[in-house]
Amino acid sequence: MIRVQNLRKIFKVHRKPPGFAASVKSLFRRDWIDKVAVTGSTFEVNEGEIVGLIGANGAGKTTLVKMLSGIIHPTAGEAEVLGHVPWKREDAFRRQIALIMGQKAQMWWDLPGADCFELLREIYQIPPEQYRKSLAKLSEMLQIGDEMNIQIRRLSLGERMKMELIAALLHSPKVVYLDEPTIGLDITTQRAVRDFLLEYRRTNAPAMILTSHYMEDIERLCERIIIIREGEIVYDGSLKRVMREYAPYKQLRLNVHRSSTAPLDLASLEAMGQVIECDPGSLCLRVDRDKVPEVAAELLRKYSVIDLSIEDPEIGDTIERIMAGKADGIR
Amino acid sequence: MSPSLFFHLVLLETKKLMSYRVDFWITMLVALVVNLVILWALWQAIFAESGKELIGGWDLNGILAYGVMVFLTGRIVRGGDLQMTVATDIYDGSLSRYLLYPRHYPFVKYAQQVGNILPDLFQSLLMGLVAIPLLGISTTTDVSPMSLLMAIPSILVAHLLFFLMSLTPQYIAFWADNVWSLSVMLRFVTMLLGGAMLPLTLFPESIQDGLRWLPFSYLFEFPTLVALGKIGFVQWYQGICYCLLWSLLMGLLSIPVWRRGDLRYTGVGI
Repeated sequence: MIRVQNLRKIFKVHRKPPGFAASVKSLFRRDWIDKVAVTGSTFEVNEGEIVGLIGANGAGKTTLVKMLSGIIHPTAGEAEVLGHVPWKREDAFRRQIALIMGQKAQMWWDLPGADCFELLREIYQIPPEQYRKSLAKLSEMLQIGDEMNIQIRRLSLGERMKMELIAALLHSPKVVYLDEPTIGLDITTQRAVRDFLLEYRRTNAPAMILTSHYMEDIERLCERIIIIREGEIVYDGSLKRVMREYAPYKQLRLNVHRSSTAPLDLASLEAMGQVIECDPGSLCLRVDRDKVPEVAAELLRKYSVIDLSIEDPEIGDTIERIMAGKADGIR
Repeated sequence: MSPSLFFHLVLLETKKLMSYRVDFWITMLVALVVNLVILWALWQAIFAESGKELIGGWDLNGILAYGVMVFLTGRIVRGGDLQMTVATDIYDGSLSRYLLYPRHYPFVKYAQQVGNILPDLFQSLLMGLVAIPLLGISTTTDVSPMSLLMAIPSILVAHLLFFLMSLTPQYIAFWADNVWSLSVMLRFVTMLLGGAMLPLTLFPESIQDGLRWLPFSYLFEFPTLVALGKIGFVQWYQGICYCLLWSLLMGLLSIPVWRRGDLRYTGVGI
């Protein structure tokens, strides 16, 4: 469905030093610098797949989405979405895609949702019967009722996002780009949006690319993630694999009886793994995955343990480390 | 673009503007009163000072009628506040939304522009009903139901020409980000050379000759003269054709500019 080959985007950015003199100078002569936003990305996304595009601010996620939706032209490289080159903007292509932008309202601010949807029906030439069914189904899934008759600008952020989702999906797109769809929403609405997206995927099986800074979005929605650092793809694979490859350790956390046990001996603990926390009565160790049973047994034997837990590291921490280029074995 | 989509966009834009009722009525009242007072005071003084009965082929009542009529038609031709929206869309990234739709962007904007002039049309009609009876009888104008009818298509083609003429300067926003100054310049140049500030017959002969080869007079002077009954049927028909020809030329001129600019579009704001 989506095939991307060595896609690059370089922006020319006006460099303006601070100060009044620089402002005056810029009236006559401007310095431009090349800002590489995406450097040769290559990947594919298949039908029914939700791929999480993860990266720090300015990593190039949104630029990639903008190219794949046809909003901007690339500097080099190729992309094919549903058999079309996105930036040629053929009508047949645009009828089959949708872009939902959490940070930018796409609906008409001064109009109620119902009017906006009617207009979209005309724009996408949706047959009346299909439109009625689609609208009824999407409204039911997102629990939208009377809000549809209220001006968009008078709705809450959560209600507006639900309207945006309906507006974007009315024409049943086969490819959906979601750019931070849960940004700024409260926890309940975030959950509702995630549930909705999962249900939508189950019933319509579109290819979806999701960018988000919320790890919960990624964990709940995506089986596969692409991590971008400074415009370059540094990881493309399953969520599970990222943990295996980039976090080849687990955390052992234990509470011990203070009175009845031998004092925690830092030197022997460091021989077992990396000591994260060591307080009287509690301990946290980072241990290689294959050594976990052996170390756990050793700890149970040596100390009077009240409680022992073995945890995977936070996926967010691992991804953050990859994004910062600190993870082990990073490409 | 399908007629039903065009109609839908027109109605939606109109509905949007009508939802701000206070703004709708205040804009109309203030604009009418200010313009009537300025027109009357200015031309009364000029005629009194010169001691002439006719200036540039107009008597006092005739030139006041021209002033009122060009003000009423000009509001429609310029299309209210929408004249900068293309540049604004490029500047703030709202263009991205339109690029996703399976519709041609300038057509969507034009439909919105037409929707934007419907309230102006209604307002101009109301203002005309109030202002025209206040004007005295002129020997230099010949307003009739027929001339007013002929003015309607003249205004609509003038509006199309103004829209297409303003596209290219607005596309400069792809390179310059903010083209507010260009738009202001376009507004003043078109108003001055198009006869919105004063009849072109008051300009020196040489300038009048030059202006005949340019599209500006079709924007404001032409529909106004048609409404005032100063243009015969053949001239009117020719004028409409010239106006459409200029529109086509302006539309064609905007295409390569759009294509080049589109390559630079960055879709800021998302």
